[in-house]
Amino acid sequence: MVFVWGHSFLIMILSTHGFIASSIGQFDADAVAFFNRVTTAGGTLSVTEQNAVNTLVIQMKTDGIWTKMKAIYPMVGASAAACAQNLKSSSFTGSFTSGWTFASTGVTPNGTSAYMDTGFSINTQQASANNYSHGFYSGTIGGGPATKCSMGALTGSSESDILIRWAGSNFYANICEQVYNNAFTNSDTHGFYVANRNTTNRTQSWKNGIKVIDVSNTPTAKTIDNIIIAARNSSTISNYDDKRCQFAFISDGLTDTNQNNLYTAVQAFQTTLSRQV
Amino acid sequence: MIGYILTIEQYEQIQGQFYAPYEFFNCVQDINDVWFLFLSDQDKEQIASTEWSWILNLSEGEYIPKPSPNPADETN
Repeated sequence: MVFVWGHSFLIMILSTHGFIASSIGQFDADAVAFFNRVTTAGGTLSVTEQNAVNTLVIQMKTDGIWTKMKAIYPMVGASAAACAQNLKSSSFTGSFTSGWTFASTGVTPNGTSAYMDTGFSINTQQASANNYSHGFYSGTIGGGPATKCSMGALTGSSESDILIRWAGSNFYANICEQVYNNAFTNSDTHGFYVANRNTTNRTQSWKNGIKVIDVSNTPTAKTIDNIIIAARNSSTISNYDDKRCQFAFISDGLTDTNQNNLYTAVQAFQTTLSRQV
Repeated sequence: MIGYILTIEQYEQIQGQFYAPYEFFNCVQDINDVWFLFLSDQDKEQIASTEWSWILNLSEGEYIPKPSPNPADETN
């Protein structure tokens, strides 16, 4: 086809057939790769979502966080095909069970039977239990205390999860142990929650960029079962959650600076999409 | 919560089966060990014109969950 009507039509035709490469010059190459994975999967992203993802990737690279990431689920595109895609790479593409609702605001499980399998096993992927982090951005405001797990897995006495407002209104964030000495009293259920190990025998957690837990405990073993979102993966799936997921990630351990920068970048991402909490 | 009630044979037929490239059926047992399936409105629209459409005609009932495990109680 010969384009005779100028630059704007050229961009339109290219955009409807997926992104050819970063040669257009507008987007980061890894962002483009993600856009193409979404398109290939049968999903679509709005221009606003593309720009938000692109900015997020660039900022994470600037902050030195990108290379630590193993899986990033930005939960954009309002479909299982789009939301299953890992922004960081073509690995750890997710799979959703029945019972989810997909929207531009994020993905919401039914709290009874719905979860997403990331395919990521700490035992398989991480050399050390003391070098791991994961996080969940909840858009659900006003949830009460309940035994609901936002993301996690449990193998024997090795538990790795995020429990935003467990029984007793405690926020727990275990990584490869089951000591439950790392509690923070949480009065709500929205925000960005991170569990982290980047120092030997120490667990840290943040809520909205503020460190709320920093305790000494020793990992029992690397958790074997896959990390899943919206429930706990054990011999049986349990503790189903109903909080809206607007972002989730899995990475190597993060420093305090890493985590602060990550929160800033993720919050800016949510704000661009008009879904910040 | 209302869900579709499954026989054991129906559960074995659909559990883990993908009805879309990135979505699979997941059933849960209630407090009486009866198998249930919960579908979102989007799920129902998706399977309405597929080989799984028969699910939409199953009987529905009130689901009473089993107690959720609480490891925090067991360790503290």
